[in-house]
Amino acid sequence: MPDETIYQSMKNKGVSRRDFLKLSGLFAMALGFTKAPPFEESGLPTSLEFSPKVAEPIVRAMETKPRLPVIWLEFQDCTGCSEALTRSNSPTLSSLVLNTLTIEYHETLSAAAGFQVEEAKQQAMKKYAGQYILVVEGSIPVGEEALYCVIGGRTGEEILKEAAAGAAAIIAVGNCSSFGGLPKAKPNPTNAKGVWEIITDKPIINISGCPAIPEAITGVIAHYALFGTLPELDGLHRPKTFYGVTVHDRCLRRPFYEAGKFALSFDDEGAKKGYCLYKLGCKGPTTYNSCATIKWDAGLSFPIQSGHPCLGCSEPNFWDGGGFYQGQSAPLERPEVTAVGAAVAAGVVLGAGMAVANSNQKKAAEALKGGSK
Amino acid sequence: MNTQTMLELARGPIFYGALLFFIAGMLYRLVTVISLGWNKDLAKPRGDKATGVVKSFLRGGIIFPFFPREKAAYARNPIVYIAGGLFHLSLFIVVILGAAHMLVWKSLIGFGWPTLPLPIVDWMAAVGIIAMVALIVNRMVHPVMKLLTGVAEVLNWLFVFLPMITGYMMTHHMFLPYENLFVLHMMSINVLLVWIPLSRISHFMFYFFSRTIHGVEWGKRNAMP
Ligand code: SF4
Repeated sequence: MPDETIYQSMKNKGVSRRDFLKLSGLFAMALGFTKAPPFEESGLPTSLEFSPKVAEPIVRAMETKPRLPVIWLEFQDCTGCSEALTRSNSPTLSSLVLNTLTIEYHETLSAAAGFQVEEAKQQAMKKYAGQYILVVEGSIPVGEEALYCVIGGRTGEEILKEAAAGAAAIIAVGNCSSFGGLPKAKPNPTNAKGVWEIITDKPIINISGCPAIPEAITGVIAHYALFGTLPELDGLHRPKTFYGVTVHDRCLRRPFYEAGKFALSFDDEGAKKGYCLYKLGCKGPTTYNSCATIKWDAGLSFPIQSGHPCLGCSEPNFWDGGGFYQGQSAPLERPEVTAVGAAVAAGVVLGAGMAVANSNQKKAAEALKGGSK
Repeated sequence: MNTQTMLELARGPIFYGALLFFIAGMLYRLVTVISLGWNKDLAKPRGDKATGVVKSFLRGGIIFPFFPREKAAYARNPIVYIAGGLFHLSLFIVVILGAAHMLVWKSLIGFGWPTLPLPIVDWMAAVGIIAMVALIVNRMVHPVMKLLTGVAEVLNWLFVFLPMITGYMMTHHMFLPYENLFVLHMMSINVLLVWIPLSRISHFMFYFFSRTIHGVEWGKRNAMP
């Protein structure tokens, strides 16, 4: 029941005050708090200096804020983002989001199925109209191709628009729902789109990534639950806390990049020594995400640490952004031999034509000179 | 349009088009120049033409003012001499031996080569940029150069300078986000690629012709010891 406060509901579930305070601290850390933004409507202090008390506003918010209903829709996706979330490295955070914040509807996690769950969703949408957070996973085919994604006899486009109408805010989780992801890769057979290309009248946050980093998902949902506002976003609607700097900026292989030491294949001496993966196609320099700092699986590792170049999965159109193993500076397309041939031929023909014209002109001029003598 | 889309265009179709224009344009220039023809020898050459060519190229390589013969050229305009030389050296190091640029060549011609560490390339880029600034200032204040400077010369300078400065800003994350600078860098390259065949920057190709022709003439006249 979203009417009780977050703290109450946790208490009812047997969470001790001590654990509650610990969790608040964890939140403060996950949200990157050293200073709280001005949350006027939350009645909290508008700024706070860095101190051990940094968790205080979180504690106060959790004690006073009602639970937040969440409706989670899936369209053209692989459920990888949900998978990542349920395997989040901060289980307390994800359990908070999954259990305490009331996920009213989730295609994969809901126990009920069929028309019953559809019914439950309709009820939730009615009951919490204007209050719930809509989380979207997967891209949405639109227009005539909308038929490529049909759930319960209705197109994804229709379902999204209906659910978006009553949402307080929309969180697009993963690259597919943010920017179209894999389904949108050329030639985009299903005419897939990201949420923000379809819904334009609601606040939308993109938590891109393939999958999205679970801490970023929970962090943003928690932020909204606690403060009733969206975190600060970048130009692509991604929360700056998690997408403020590039992977390259925080990469553990960066010193090798600077020193010009590169792995040239996946099993050469450089790869074994942990050299930079730029020449193996790393997209870290243009990819904004916190893989290099939060990492995956309880901070164990992330692709670059394990020896694989960054694919740039939190950026729009990363599937079409050049070969995964081709250096990032390389042009996207290499001209076809035929195109080069055509260019060469055009140059030669035009040149020869010009040459003939020139020589004719010269001859004519000489003839004229000869004639006038 | 977001930065990623712009970047895709700048690295994709626009670059593609610019490169093809460059190839066609250079071929056009090449054919027209070659078709100007070669004067027949009306008299028996006094010396060996081939030796003349070899010497001409060797002399082209001796670019240091401590060789007495170069001293005069150096003394006439030391700024052009030093800054021009450093600019070309910088260009070679950055464009051929910089890791990012080598990958461009690799993707186009299919093979790569070892590259220099970033700090070295970076310093050379800075040297190149300073040289370019010195050259344009010299152009603007030198009484003779001023007379020789028209719109085309300024554009030559600008279209070469833009890729250099945007590339430098890009490696140092100056003023704008990396991707935006990447777009600017690629677009300035695309402009340059189109401009080269239309301008005197095409001398990178014709240099070898003029050296050869001079060598032949010197050889014929036996004018070069
Ligand atoms: S591995 Fe990638 S992200 Fe890391 S330093 Fe090299 S290029 Fe940058």
